[in-house]
Amino acid sequence: MIQFKNVHLRFDSGISLRDLNFDIKSDEFVYLFGDSGSGKSSILKMIYMDFFPNSGSVSVFDQDSSYTNRGTIAKIRQRIGMVFQDFKLLADRDIYSNIALALEIQGMKTDEARRKVFATADDLGLRTKLPLYPHELSGGEQQRVALARALVISPDILLVDEPTAHLDETASAVVTEWIWKAHNRGASVVFATHNEQLIKRDPARTITMETGQIILDRE
Amino acid sequence: MREGIVGIRRSRMPFMISVFSVAIALLVVGVGVLSVDNGLQYIGDMQANYDLEIFLKNDISTIDSRELADIINEYPGILRMEYLSKEDAAALYNAEFGEDVLSLLDDNPLPSSFRITFEEDYRSAGYIHSFIQSVNILNGVDEVIFKKDLFEKVQGIMKLIYTLATAGLFMIILSTVFLTANNLRLMILARYEFIETIRLLGASDFMIKSPFFLEGGILGFLGASIAVLAIILMEISLAYYHIIDLPVRIMNHPELILGLLVFGVSLSSLGVLKAVRRMLRFVA
Repeated sequence: MIQFKNVHLRFDSGISLRDLNFDIKSDEFVYLFGDSGSGKSSILKMIYMDFFPNSGSVSVFDQDSSYTNRGTIAKIRQRIGMVFQDFKLLADRDIYSNIALALEIQGMKTDEARRKVFATADDLGLRTKLPLYPHELSGGEQQRVALARALVISPDILLVDEPTAHLDETASAVVTEWIWKAHNRGASVVFATHNEQLIKRDPARTITMETGQIILDRE
Repeated sequence: MREGIVGIRRSRMPFMISVFSVAIALLVVGVGVLSVDNGLQYIGDMQANYDLEIFLKNDISTIDSRELADIINEYPGILRMEYLSKEDAAALYNAEFGEDVLSLLDDNPLPSSFRITFEEDYRSAGYIHSFIQSVNILNGVDEVIFKKDLFEKVQGIMKLIYTLATAGLFMIILSTVFLTANNLRLMILARYEFIETIRLLGASDFMIKSPFFLEGGILGFLGASIAVLAIILMEISLAYYHIIDLPVRIMNHPELILGLLVFGVSLSSLGVLKAVRRMLRFVA
């Protein structure tokens, strides 16, 4: 499903990712573990084709990112649920519209979209928050909204970038539980984190990064 | 379509600012076009008053003068031809100088004449010059009088105004396009977050551009409508306060109204589209 082959990525700042090689199969749960700046987010960005490797290849759904046009990238992204570190919720839209946005982009009819949004909001305990705006929610609630927007499309791949970074332990546990639930429903998950405790609590394959290199990949 | 209208509702303030900036830009263009049109029309009307006068020989008979009139009437470009008999000339003399020419002299020495007004397209010094030459040799014609110097002066002024006005209008339109495009770019820049997010969620370029294109069209239409209304109000005020009687009014020129609307809609929708396209180059 996701394949990195001899991937090198250089930035103007000098930091770079070097010789990344790994496969992620469908239905797999993978932690990307490492300190901040180790390259976890860049890997996620290469998966959703925001970044492109300087050499080597990144394939997602059998599409090599270096040879994929913008239209195909848009279609690939419609199959990927993304939870960004900064949530990327639209401040001028209520929670309902923020979640429904992902479905609107897929061209889903309003009635069906409404049913799906309500169902996902119910699952994540967000039903009462739907008429509110992002700034009216706590960090944990915003994180759940971001997760709801990613899950509402029933993605084939779920990418989450430090979803527990700004949350207390209880909120972290809730969010992590939902990510595992999404995985159990059939989504491949790539979970970027620097929280070792979290991996110990719910172990899975872990790719450990250090200064742009994979130093460990173990089940 | 829905997203376009929702987009307007969500960013009312930048949208309204853009509408008014387009309105002001089009108002300047509209007033510019109308000023040029009115100026040219005014000078054209002045020029139309420079009639050419053909004085007939004193001994010409009424029948001959009618035949001569028929011949002259065959020339192209004659808008109006008025016959002034010897008696009419005497009456005019009387009206102008307050004296009866027949009481001063035994015989009426004033000649009969034709006063000719040319059609607009034929009011050129070249054509009138050749007209005079060919009329001068006709039997029964004594003299042709035309205020050539003044005519040519006015025509020169007209040409200068036309050239300056065209250049001025071109500059105005160019700066309008530039200012509007810049303003629309700022409006789109304020929506960076939205564009970036929907792009990351899988929106195609077409999906992103189309609501903005529609929004730009609505913006341009509103801006142009405000500009047209403002021009109509200005014209009404000028007429109401008797400041100036404009020969060319926008209300009598639906093609100008349509032109401003089409210019406004295309300027805004294409400007918005260009701004979005430019932004998409920097967005993931």
